[in-house]
Amino acid sequence: MTAHDGHDVLGDLMRASLDHCVKCTICETFCPVSNVTPLFPGPKYAGPQAERFRIDDEPSPDASLDYCSGCGICTQVCPQGVHIAEINTRARAQLKATQGVRLRDRILARPTLAGRLGTPVAPIANWSLGNRLLRLAAEKTLGIHHRAPMPRFAGRTFQRWARRHSAPAAAGRRVAFFHGCGTNYYEPRLGEMTVGLLEHNGLAVEVPKQDCCGLPLQSNGLFDDARGYVHRLAARLAPYAREGVDIVATSTSCSLMLKREALEILGMSDDPDLQVVSERVFDICEYLLAMRERGELKLDFQPLPETVTYHAPCQQQGHGIGKPALDLLALIPELRTIETGASCCGVAGTYGLKREKYDIAMKVGDGLFAEIAAAAPDRAVCDSETCRWQIEHATGVRAVHPVEVLHRASGLA
Amino acid sequence: MPTLQAELLVIGGGATGAGVAWDAALRGFDVVLVDRADLAEGTSGRFHGLLHSGGRYVVKDPVAAKECVAENAILRRVIPDCIEDTGGLFVTTPDDDPAYGDRFLAGCRACSLPAEEIDVAEALRREPRLNPGIRRAFLVPDASIDAWKTVWSLARGASAHGARILPYHRVIDLHREEDAVTGARVRNEHTGEELDIEAGFTINASGAWAAQIAHMAGIEGVGVIPGKGIMIAMNHRLVNTVINRCTMPADGDILVPIRTVSVIGTTDSRSADPDEIPVTQAEVDQMLDDGERLVPGFREARALRVWAGVRPLFQDEKAGAVADTRDVSRTHAVVDHRERDGVAGLLTMSGGKLTTLRLMAQDIVDAMCAQLGAERPCRTHAERPPGNEDGEPYSLGSRLRRREATLQDEQLICECELIGRSRLEQAMRRRGTTDLDDIRRSMRLGMGPCQGGFCIYRATGILHGVGRLDGAEASASLHGFLEERWKGVWPILYGDQLRQARLDDWIFQGLLDVEHLPDGELAA
Amino acid sequence: MSHHDVVVVGTGLAGLTAAVRLAEDGARVLVLAKGVGATHLSAGTIDVLGYAPERVDRPAEALGALVDARPGHPYALVGAGGVAAAVDWFKARIAAGPLAPYAYAGGVEENLLLPTAVGVARPSAVVPETMAGGDLRRDAAICIVGFRALKDFHPALAADMLTRAGVRARGVELDLVPEGRVDVNALGFARAFDAPAFRAEVKAQVVAQLGVEERAAFPAVLGIADPHGAWTELEHGLGRAVFEIPTLPPSVPGMRVHKSLHETLRRAGGRVILNAVVTGAEHRGGHVSALRIRVGLREERRGADWVVLATGGLASGGIELDSRWKARETALGLPVTGVPEPGAERFRPGYFEDHPMARAGVAVDHGLRPVDGGGERLYENVLVAGATLAGAEPWREKCGDGLSLSTGYRAAELVLAASTAAGAAAGVAGS
Repeated sequence: MTAHDGHDVLGDLMRASLDHCVKCTICETFCPVSNVTPLFPGPKYAGPQAERFRIDDEPSPDASLDYCSGCGICTQVCPQGVHIAEINTRARAQLKATQGVRLRDRILARPTLAGRLGTPVAPIANWSLGNRLLRLAAEKTLGIHHRAPMPRFAGRTFQRWARRHSAPAAAGRRVAFFHGCGTNYYEPRLGEMTVGLLEHNGLAVEVPKQDCCGLPLQSNGLFDDARGYVHRLAARLAPYAREGVDIVATSTSCSLMLKREALEILGMSDDPDLQVVSERVFDICEYLLAMRERGELKLDFQPLPETVTYHAPCQQQGHGIGKPALDLLALIPELRTIETGASCCGVAGTYGLKREKYDIAMKVGDGLFAEIAAAAPDRAVCDSETCRWQIEHATGVRAVHPVEVLHRASGLA
Repeated sequence: MPTLQAELLVIGGGATGAGVAWDAALRGFDVVLVDRADLAEGTSGRFHGLLHSGGRYVVKDPVAAKECVAENAILRRVIPDCIEDTGGLFVTTPDDDPAYGDRFLAGCRACSLPAEEIDVAEALRREPRLNPGIRRAFLVPDASIDAWKTVWSLARGASAHGARILPYHRVIDLHREEDAVTGARVRNEHTGEELDIEAGFTINASGAWAAQIAHMAGIEGVGVIPGKGIMIAMNHRLVNTVINRCTMPADGDILVPIRTVSVIGTTDSRSADPDEIPVTQAEVDQMLDDGERLVPGFREARALRVWAGVRPLFQDEKAGAVADTRDVSRTHAVVDHRERDGVAGLLTMSGGKLTTLRLMAQDIVDAMCAQLGAERPCRTHAERPPGNEDGEPYSLGSRLRRREATLQDEQLICECELIGRSRLEQAMRRRGTTDLDDIRRSMRLGMGPCQGGFCIYRATGILHGVGRLDGAEASASLHGFLEERWKGVWPILYGDQLRQARLDDWIFQGLLDVEHLPDGELAA
Repeated sequence: MSHHDVVVVGTGLAGLTAAVRLAEDGARVLVLAKGVGATHLSAGTIDVLGYAPERVDRPAEALGALVDARPGHPYALVGAGGVAAAVDWFKARIAAGPLAPYAYAGGVEENLLLPTAVGVARPSAVVPETMAGGDLRRDAAICIVGFRALKDFHPALAADMLTRAGVRARGVELDLVPEGRVDVNALGFARAFDAPAFRAEVKAQVVAQLGVEERAAFPAVLGIADPHGAWTELEHGLGRAVFEIPTLPPSVPGMRVHKSLHETLRRAGGRVILNAVVTGAEHRGGHVSALRIRVGLREERRGADWVVLATGGLASGGIELDSRWKARETALGLPVTGVPEPGAERFRPGYFEDHPMARAGVAVDHGLRPVDGGGERLYENVLVAGATLAGAEPWREKCGDGLSLSTGYRAAELVLAASTAAGAAAGVAGS
């Protein structure tokens, strides 16, 4: 890789975006973390400000940077176009490159590995996750907070289901489903419902073989490993994109990785597979709403006389597509949807699982949890899996993906 | 009239004057230093920050080059905290003659300057933003040096050895008895009070203003050519190595990474009056184009401020007129007025550059000792002035590191330059000033991207408390700062910095309504 | 491609005002913005006209004279009546918004004189109820209370300046820190003030220090969730008039405006997408059919019948000047007027001088539609509002908020009127 290929030009632009910062402090007022703890000095400080004191490729002296959860809200709200979260993520990776990455972070960063190990022994694995003594031991040895909302293994994989699933005969346009690790190992039902919903609307769903998108690795500062995963995943998905087949995804963070973050943060804009894939990846709700706008979505939803809250996760907001789930839920008769106002549930992927960050994450989520509790909904709707687990953990309300509600209202459940 | 007595009066509080005060104080002389304004407010505080390896002069001015080689090494030893070891590159851009590189290397060898040609690919790896079209690259031991820190360190060192440092004391007359200068009358620029300084010896270290000072002693024809140069500081480190064009010295051929910024310099044109050095749009455009040649995309990067400085180039009238100021030697000379004009007790330092400030001081104090018949050897090559004791060189991350240590204990006042409240209060107490602009220079307060948009109000509030200012003084300080800041930004207001300036207007005019401060006009 | 009745570009005061006004009349509204708008930076007051160039005491009257003298001023597009209508609308929306009963006081008839954080009497027409008590036209001594941990507000400095201007004022600084933090911004304090325990502590520390006749001033941090509650509780607890003085950004009163309008928009069914950078328009002749937007690294289109452009001026990036001294409007590439030619002087060397470039912006016709240098209308269904408009010096004239509010409101009214007319015409044609 030469110094002047896409990697560095794009990387450069990102760093150069610090030039746009006028210190207006808008990012500070929205940062969910620095608003609850002084341990993180805030996005403006850790991002464009501190960046001027950093030399590319040298570790940053501000360890407080590690308290950034990487939720990305700062970048979303910045009116000047500073890539604050991305600057922070890169600096954090540089920091970890020298400090070394903890064993815990290496484990949390590889959900497929955990998934492969845990799935065949799901009862034992899940028992371990529910065992307080073992969890305390894990907190002591690994630094994973004993109360952290760790997902439960489903004991089967979505991929296995998909291989056996036979599509309806009269299917039309092809679409590829990028389901992500969460669906594969922990929530295979979500994958099944997604396929069902898309087929119900006349699409021919294909499920490519796929592995992790590398996001957890990126969040934990393991950039090289993350690039490897992105590269392999993009290679799996690229043939579809090249044939003009759209790729839909249920995990908003994994799809954001392919749409944008891998190109910007990991500097992979020169990967030809990723280039075509990033153009073709859609969040499932984004996709369904676009179908609705083209008149391709079946609108004969059955009434659902219940109340749900809707929380748009930070990573979903990073797509810059608004909140399509709200427009979709609004199509369901008798469904009462309460949009929550709080911005973040706190967990930010793997952040809230860590011993030293669990309390911060719970405090970040306080506002959201209170809103949900006050609404006393039948379900809490949220697009991202880790956020759903955090919401369930904190409120006891069952949290579901919007697809699950749409699936039910389509009479498919 | 109050009177001060001293063995040596130093006129000028720039790098030369502070160097002389430090040198002489170390040799045991009782020194008074005066400057009409703040220390390093003239030429020294207005340069690009390059500690020359000597590479720039090896072909054209080998004497100056050799001096640089030696002094660069000494300064790294004695004032490490003021210097960042950035290294330097001489690069042949597509517009330069590659053959010059051979002359350059030969020159380096002749001057014992350790230079090494490296692969273009290696140079680009080291500095990825550099013009990929460069054809040759040479590595040299350039560095960047913080002039304010240097001058203040030397001045504090001199103070510690008994020197009295008097900024804002303007020389209004030189005392002359018979054929000797015996001191000066100075005026306190804050209070208007006058003061007589009786000095056994006077050193004129006023740089571009040297002829004006000499004139007060009735000495004419001290030929100082103010050579004006403009520089632009860019918002962040576009490069981390000093970049020089490998060509005969020309305009806009140096890009210096210093502290948080990169400085592009410089022009060189004759200026009639060292106090009248306006920046023109043509000059700004020229610098931006020159920057573009070194770093593609330079014009899209954010410019923070622009300023002009005047080099004190010396030209004795007997030597005949020189048309291009760039052809005047960059070495220095001690003008012995006893020899030249029959006036004893006065020496003038002429020419020179910041890199050789120590040598300049040594030479002129040696000359004074010779005239006085005193045998006191120079010690500045072996002594570290305050702030440099630990021998640790400066690194870019140092303020961030220090801030990290006090994150939970201290308010951050200047966010761009990471200045905490206690350090600011300390500086205010130490300086005893009522003027924020003094604090700006010594701490770089308000010199980051927002150009004081957020910190000036905060600092004014704090200074109001610490300095027990009344409303009029606070108002004057605030207005003064706004005007000073504006001088450095208005010619380069485009792109991001224009956006910033408008946001700052929003704060100062929209939120605070500073236009209507009571007594605001007193400041003008 | 999605399609909306109106796409509003920008989420500052002008954009939000237009969006809310349209959405509450049933229009399908989409707001696109790069990020959160500049309400977070403003004082939270609606300054209608403060200087023209002498101090204005009665803005409604002065507006007429201003418009006569400077027909190129954007106020000429709305007139005094338009400003008054917008102000009434705004006050009603805030009072019925999520922060109710938090409300605004004042009107366009006369300016209040409110102290700034440096103790200058700033003319403001419409102000949060929490600030109205600071009117310096009323002669009552002031005790300004500040907090050491809040670096963006210095009570003694403000008091000293006020004293020089003949107001009896003094400053008091409390060492009260929310959660033991030494460096807390205005929002942090506002959150603290939302908690009754913190308010009680402030009350306890301040009450003994106040003189009998004194009003009590605080930095504008008296609550973000329930400012009315915090303010009235302090007034009752301290037994005197209490008022807020705006701090440096982030501005809590500005955030209250943002919160109120944003929530009102949401309730009215409007949608907001952040991180969407408008890069151009698709148009046939003078009719724009869709906006091109960059979302992340992808380009998409959003269809609209109408576009309201409220991206701000040079401060917000709605207008840019590049290093070759060429200005452009960043979303649609509209021509910018009031920019001196390259080589000509754009700014003067003195900060307080008049700067040739100060009034640069987009020129419009009386329907707020952008025009070129010759006055020819460029697009029939694009309206421009707020700081993007040419002809004003919002901060020096102290009229930025009034302009944004009234032109944003006017843009919405124009779209609604045109749609009604078109609807009526279609109805006639269809019958």
